[in-house]
Amino acid sequence: FFPGCDAEEDLIGSLASMSTKERIKAIQKRPETIRKKREIRNKVLKEITEKSRRRGARPSSCTQCLQGVAVSFRRFGNTLSEYFHLLWIWHKTLKIIGAEFGTSVLSYFVFLKWLLNFNIFSFLINFSFITIPQFLAAEPNNLSFTGLELFTGAGYFQQTVLYYGFYTNATISKIENGPSYNMQLAYIFTVGIYFVICFLILLFSMAKSFYRNFVNPQAFSGNASKLLCTWDFNITNEKAVKLKQKNLSTQIKEDLAEVNKEVLDFSVMERVFRIAIHLLAWVASLGTAVAVCTGVYFLSINNLKLFMKEHGNDLEGQAGMLVLPVIASLLNTLIPFFFSWLGHLERFQTPGQHIYVTITRIIILKMSVVGILCYYWLNIVATSESQCWETLVGQDIYRLVLVDFIFCLLGSFFGEFLRRIIGTTVFVSLGLPEFDIGRNVLDLIYAQTLTWIGILFSPLLPGIQMIAFFIVFFVKKVSLMRNCQPPRKVWRTAQMTTSFMFLLFCPSFLGVLSVIGVIVWSLKPSEGCGPFRGLSSMYAAVTEWIRILENYAVSKWVVWIYHNLITSELFFFILSSVVLIVTYLYWQIIQGRKIMTKRLYEQINN
Amino acid sequence: MGNKQTIFTQEQLDAYQDCTFFTRKEILRLFYRYRDLAPQLVPLDYTNKPAVTLPYELIGSMPELKDNPFRQRIAEVFSEHGDGNMTLDDFLDMFSVLSEMAPRDLKAYYAFKIYDFNNDDYICKSDLEKTVNKLTRNELTPEEVSLVCEKVIYEADVDNDGKLSLTDFQHMIVRAPDFLSTFHIRI
Repeated sequence: FFPGCDAEEDLIGSLASMSTKERIKAIQKRPETIRKKREIRNKVLKEITEKSRRRGARPSSCTQCLQGVAVSFRRFGNTLSEYFHLLWIWHKTLKIIGAEFGTSVLSYFVFLKWLLNFNIFSFLINFSFITIPQFLAAEPNNLSFTGLELFTGAGYFQQTVLYYGFYTNATISKIENGPSYNMQLAYIFTVGIYFVICFLILLFSMAKSFYRNFVNPQAFSGNASKLLCTWDFNITNEKAVKLKQKNLSTQIKEDLAEVNKEVLDFSVMERVFRIAIHLLAWVASLGTAVAVCTGVYFLSINNLKLFMKEHGNDLEGQAGMLVLPVIASLLNTLIPFFFSWLGHLERFQTPGQHIYVTITRIIILKMSVVGILCYYWLNIVATSESQCWETLVGQDIYRLVLVDFIFCLLGSFFGEFLRRIIGTTVFVSLGLPEFDIGRNVLDLIYAQTLTWIGILFSPLLPGIQMIAFFIVFFVKKVSLMRNCQPPRKVWRTAQMTTSFMFLLFCPSFLGVLSVIGVIVWSLKPSEGCGPFRGLSSMYAAVTEWIRILENYAVSKWVVWIYHNLITSELFFFILSSVVLIVTYLYWQIIQGRKIMTKRLYEQINN
Repeated sequence: MGNKQTIFTQEQLDAYQDCTFFTRKEILRLFYRYRDLAPQLVPLDYTNKPAVTLPYELIGSMPELKDNPFRQRIAEVFSEHGDGNMTLDDFLDMFSVLSEMAPRDLKAYYAFKIYDFNNDDYICKSDLEKTVNKLTRNELTPEEVSLVCEKVIYEADVDNDGKLSLTDFQHMIVRAPDFLSTFHIRI
């Protein structure tokens, strides 16, 4: 008998014993032609029906009907997932961008599209659960509308659903003795559940990305991977292909000539000199960050004084409120160029180090600006004597987001359009600009951080950010196609994407969570406005609700969960210990596997 | 649910969905792309499984492939008889492996076959030289090409037999995380 037949029978047997989903995955993964896979699949299906027939005359109509239900359910699921690919408009655009510029530049646009999803989701749930009920209980707005509100967010907008202050703390019920809608609980639960879902999505995406893409930086080999593994099949534009081939041949020639293989044998003097230069550069960048923070802090204090002084809506007052956002965005846009120039001065050993160090410095700058603004909002605005401090904070964030959006567009105009004009007419040696992926992604992360902080104070802010991201996508795409050239240096897309996702999670999202936590737990909401007026903290709404629930026998389990799981320290202590132990075990497994891999490698070599 | 198409039977579509990484809608869209290459050769009714093969010249003129230096090898690897002429099954197979959803091992297997010009299940020095020439558009001198190929074999050959086997290639892929996103054609 042919040994191949036995192997195939074993395969069919093992496939038949899997669940449907696993079986489909196993068949899809096989490196064979579709014809062969179809044969195997048909044989497996025949085997399954025979097996179930052999298993006995159970009500076969029932199993058949169940199978039929399962099949139609799967078909329904497939159709549903097809309709989720409604973002078909992106597909063509992303294809064109990838075709001309390759995967590295494409990763920026994919990241932007991914961030857009967070904002769309937030806007939808905020609008449905918080804003629409508020429309039913809205108070009339007697302020006048001048055009300037679009920029400053103050004036007419103060008494609209845009800000926290407008929302009622009442329990809305339109019908007598009908179902009522508790606005306080709705507000806090909507925002809370949104953040929990975001946390889970970010955590899983980041873990998946780490799992697929993270490679020990030392193991990155030079020539072999470059040659065989990184030809970008996405590029389908003739000019771009020729350019990439030319770049590759230049790189290979440089590698062969060993131009950039500086031997690491520096003398002691040179080593000390290099360390001194690095230290100096770090001191300069940290000093710049501190200076920017101090400037922003004093500007914000000034901003508050301005707001408290004049309550009138005159033009000068309004324009004065724009000073802080404009200066903050201007500094955020210009100083990264300074950091990039510092990096050039330092002469790093590999271009990868240069990129990582510059990105670290820029993220330190941006996060410290956000941090100082949060400190200002939490400690100064919240304890000031304004009528409605939450609306003040909301307006500040609105202005920051808007001005940042405008500066992003301006940055595109100056950084790419004007630079191209200069590079082709005046200084022809400069050439066309390249699209700076790192700086642009960090701008996106900064904008998203501001939006996340602003959700509590201005529930419709994600909608505004959503529109802003849409516009940024198309403006950047047009600017890219008209003004930029494809990247010349190698950009490790997978690792950089993972790093950016990590940056979005770790300083950005976790920072936002801690700020929101402080606000919800310990700050006193203002007396005269908003859904939490009169309470000692926003969280007090939940404790009150639990107290009310204690009186009903039906909901005793909710109260039990609350007292013993959510507010109990012992539970969290046990949970943390378990998580730490499991992490430690996994780490030890990884160490063991590394040792085994090394041993096997040596065995193969010898 | 829009089951109005008459090109394939439901059974055929289910089989395609199970064997490729595409959904029903994408399979139909790919069928229309296939048909657009030669409308007079490809019938609109595949229920009786017609044996239609499109010649390599038509496949190689697709916008997604026409500027790719490896288009001939790709067509040869995925075609039934290794000559570059593709049936609809081969066409779907090709784009399924090159799609986003295909796992790394599957892509590595086919990438290896693409770079193996003489089809001997090993990437030897002559295969590498042809690859380098295609990647750099013949801009390097023969000595430089030879040097580069020797370096690659030195770096990647784990079992020291002077050529790269599939396992050597997969070992290299593991250390190149960009491979998943670059070995990908969007259609």
